Amino acid sequence: MSEKTPKSDGGVTQESIFGTDEEVERRRTPPAERARRAFDFYVATPFRVAWTDWRTRIGGIGVLFYLLMGTVGVWLVPPPQINEGPYYLDPFVDWSMPLGTDNLGRGVFKTLVHSTPAMMKMALAGIVFTVGVAVLVGMIAGYKGGVVDTLLMTITDVFITLPGLPLIIVLAAIFSPDDPFIVGTIIAIDQWPRLARMLRSQVLALREEDFVEAARSIGLSTPTIVGQELVPKVAPFVLISAAGAAVGVIFQSVALYFIGVLPFSSLNWGVMMQLAYTQGNAVAAPGRAGHWLLFPLLAISGVSFSLILFSQGLDRVFNPRLLARHSQTVPEDEQEEAGGL
Amino acid sequence: MAIGQTNQSTADEETDDADEDIVMEVDDARVQFGMSRGQAWVLNDVSLDIRREEILAVVGESGSGKSMFAAALMDAVEDPGHLSGDVTYYPREEEGDDSPSADQIGSYDTVGDDAVDVLGMTDGELKNFRWEEVSMVFQGAMNSFNPTMKIKGHFHETIQAHNAVLEDRMEHVRDLFQALHLDPDRVMNSYPHELSGGMKQRALIALALVLEPEVLVMDEPTAALDLLMQRSIISMLRELRDEFDLTIVFITHDLPLVAGLSDRIGVMYAFEFIEVGDTRSLLKDAAHPYTRALLRSVPSIDSDIDAMQPIEGARPDPVNIPTGCSFHPRCPIADDRCEIEDPDLVSVDDDHSAACFYTDQARGELEYTLDHGATED
Amino acid sequence: MSTDEPTTDDVTADDAAVDDTASDVPDDEPILSVDDVSVHYEPGGIVTRALSDKKVRAVDGVSFDLYDNDIVVLVGESGCGKTTLGKTAIGLEKPTEGSVKYRGQDIWNSKENPRDADIEFTEIRRAMQIIHQDPANALNSSRRVKAILSDPLKKYRDELGPKEREDTIYRFLEFVDMMPPEDYAERYPHQLSGGEKQRVALGRALLMNPDVILADEAISALDVSLRVGMMDLILDLQDTFDTSYIFISHDLANARYLAKRAGGRIAIMYLGEIVEIGPPEEILQNPTHPYTKVLKWSTPTVDPDVAKQRIQEDPPVREVDVPDPEDPPSGCKFHTRCPEAREVCTTEEPERYETAGESTTACFRALETHEYWNSAELADADEDEYDAQESAGFGD
Repeated sequence: MSEKTPKSDGGVTQESIFGTDEEVERRRTPPAERARRAFDFYVATPFRVAWTDWRTRIGGIGVLFYLLMGTVGVWLVPPPQINEGPYYLDPFVDWSMPLGTDNLGRGVFKTLVHSTPAMMKMALAGIVFTVGVAVLVGMIAGYKGGVVDTLLMTITDVFITLPGLPLIIVLAAIFSPDDPFIVGTIIAIDQWPRLARMLRSQVLALREEDFVEAARSIGLSTPTIVGQELVPKVAPFVLISAAGAAVGVIFQSVALYFIGVLPFSSLNWGVMMQLAYTQGNAVAAPGRAGHWLLFPLLAISGVSFSLILFSQGLDRVFNPRLLARHSQTVPEDEQEEAGGL
Repeated sequence: MAIGQTNQSTADEETDDADEDIVMEVDDARVQFGMSRGQAWVLNDVSLDIRREEILAVVGESGSGKSMFAAALMDAVEDPGHLSGDVTYYPREEEGDDSPSADQIGSYDTVGDDAVDVLGMTDGELKNFRWEEVSMVFQGAMNSFNPTMKIKGHFHETIQAHNAVLEDRMEHVRDLFQALHLDPDRVMNSYPHELSGGMKQRALIALALVLEPEVLVMDEPTAALDLLMQRSIISMLRELRDEFDLTIVFITHDLPLVAGLSDRIGVMYAFEFIEVGDTRSLLKDAAHPYTRALLRSVPSIDSDIDAMQPIEGARPDPVNIPTGCSFHPRCPIADDRCEIEDPDLVSVDDDHSAACFYTDQARGELEYTLDHGATED
Repeated sequence: MSTDEPTTDDVTADDAAVDDTASDVPDDEPILSVDDVSVHYEPGGIVTRALSDKKVRAVDGVSFDLYDNDIVVLVGESGCGKTTLGKTAIGLEKPTEGSVKYRGQDIWNSKENPRDADIEFTEIRRAMQIIHQDPANALNSSRRVKAILSDPLKKYRDELGPKEREDTIYRFLEFVDMMPPEDYAERYPHQLSGGEKQRVALGRALLMNPDVILADEAISALDVSLRVGMMDLILDLQDTFDTSYIFISHDLANARYLAKRAGGRIAIMYLGEIVEIGPPEEILQNPTHPYTKVLKWSTPTVDPDVAKQRIQEDPPVREVDVPDPEDPPSGCKFHTRCPEAREVCTTEEPERYETAGESTTACFRALETHEYWNSAELADADEDEYDAQESAGFGD
């Protein structure tokens, strides 16, 4: 134990215990080292941890594929034109129309690629809205308790009990949204209340933890406590819910386009499926337009599956044991964690 | 008494063990499992005899292997741990109609068996063996009641699982409840959440004894309880042993707790027994440096405050158990020999042995007191 | 149990505040003043609360003072209210009745009426900290040691830049023998041993330079051989950082160690009240209150001869189980279990009386003249074969 230094009148100060300034100088970490450590902490290690899980790898590649398709792909692949090919051309026959054509001779592949941005925007809007509102409402209600909690939860409950699908249909009919961001947001209205309630439950339990009490004792403000202490604990759950929200938005949008509620746009997977079903009779006579139904279906399933896999794998990134193991700044485990009694 | 340890069990082996009625014998038991860092040993070639109707306290800190030892007695070591060695159970001999094994209580049949190889049993035999011959009260078990089932439901379930006669067993449970100061009608018809911690724990002890086992193993049974309840349960255990001819193995980290209860104490450190002996002899004049250091570091209600001293150093890592004597890095009197050779348990007094080369020196140099001013050497 | 004039407390506390530290001007003013504090809960949900009057009196009319560099150890069984009292004393819970004053300033007044306050609530909040029982829970397992220890510094010493914070943290880690500090600062809690975790939790409290620390069973989760070390560390740090402690313990032996080494007091609690408070040697060698005698009797001793003898004895209580806190006994709350209880104990509540020494106790037996000595003895409860959760209903 270090030497005890005599107390000054105003009580003990850190300096009187912790040495003089010269010693302090010697110890400072150079900025380059700090930058390296920060990078390792925030970027490299999470990536390494994420990569260890096959789900993140496969899901991540899938999500990346769709993202590329929606950005680079749109730029590389020319937009579909009517009559660029024969009607209902089968797939894998002509390599300029790799997935065949639809009833107006447009290449299915090109249509798929060019529909991706809209889907991505919808999903993104859905995630942002759902997670954003749910986190704010759920976590603050759960942490604060009392009047705030009751108020926020009443609002949430109102939204839960409103019939989701009819509400969306009505809203869509009123606003006729073209912009995929708005479509995504409208659909998300159905999703956020449940997530908010679930987050609130998690926070209710976490709130009683000792480390939260310690944070209160230190005097940290509510937003700091929620963001610093609670969010890392609920992050895996939020991530998986985010992926679920994205998938939910996509599915719901497909359904809405399929039943014709949302405004028609030729560049849309859901619309493609609808047209294939109505115009092309794809279900009754799959030989003719089956490919027009199938490939959008695969695209939707693909993106949903990738998102879910990816988010499931990502929850490892919040596990401190894994972060420690894969980090380059965190020291090696010398011995097993010592338990209590 | 003969308690030999691993490979080099020599002179002390065959002495008066024949006189003692042994109910369970553990020989060279070891538990290991693989970790990314290497092989972890959590029970390191442990040998011990448990005498019939004794109360044996197994004392050790967390990470000493004591819970693993308890699990080994019932072959309950879980994956990925792997238990090897010998665990032998000696059923009570038939003495006449009074002996409990005369009328078979559950499905486990001990008639005709001299020695039972516990680790060699099939799953079916093991299922019957556990609870009928050797029973266990786990750590924190009072939280393991099914919250949707009344207490009597738990008893019925256990009795039926072992194909025992319900009425007979419930009669016996009444006796047990009486010894444990529980009101049978009230407790039986309660849900677990309606009972206090102390009552749950006592009900659990009764549940462990419902099939009249020979041996009761208890892992920290009083850990979460209040002082007075703890103390009461300790007394009750003694009465239970006397009334029902039980052998009790009491596992704890709290040495003062068992000072009055146990007949013998076994001290574990680094996954092996480093001192075993008669309670009085061991506590009054411990032979192993660790035991002495432990007694010096645990304040009791009447110990000399200024003489208290913590034990320096950290407890051993199961993957990197020190060479030679496992305590040598922290031992104040260790020398080169201790770093190379691992001492066996050798007799230092009547019914008292310790695994150390320098017990005389330990007794001479490491002082501890049991109460105010009465300095032991 | 109501409080008497402050003089009673001052007398005992003054005598008990042994001054070990060199340059201190002996302080007569208590840092913390708990004045007739009660904390009541209403159990159950909205409907139950509306329909019934039931209250759990977790803390019922407690008063005590805490001085500079003082230690008070609260000892009692579960349900006695020691944790609630501790948290109320440091302002983490609000009392239903009574007041808690920090250096003369009522804590909750300061929070709710900041303009009238002499001492700001942020200052009060800084001055009183907590260390929890289970170090594994007390540290956020997702955050590193450095981040955890930065919290207090960021909040109260914002003049420090990130480098200076880092240095301060390193220095603290060195101070508590966690070397090399650079290594330890980057670890996650799961990479620390129990004792190390507890030291980090201690550091988090101390880096705010508090005046009072509540240590809630802070050593119970540690290995037995480490406890004395941790207690010694806490006591050393008390000297250096000039902090007072309120220690909560269910273990009388540890309580004795702490209180004796620091020259503090032990306060025995039962069902929300302090039944006896005073220097450890007095309380443990000459316990006045029968409950203290029970606790002492229940604490195991490591001397095998004494232990063997004691195990044959019956506990000096008439009932083993604690009464239901929702329905506490009338008069002296201990009367249902007290071997010395008499008729008057069922109707009259004892106040705090001085004993021959420095301690005070809430038992009529401390007084030379009182109705107690003329009162009839209670007919003993039936040989209790069975334990009852509620009190045995004498005169209830």
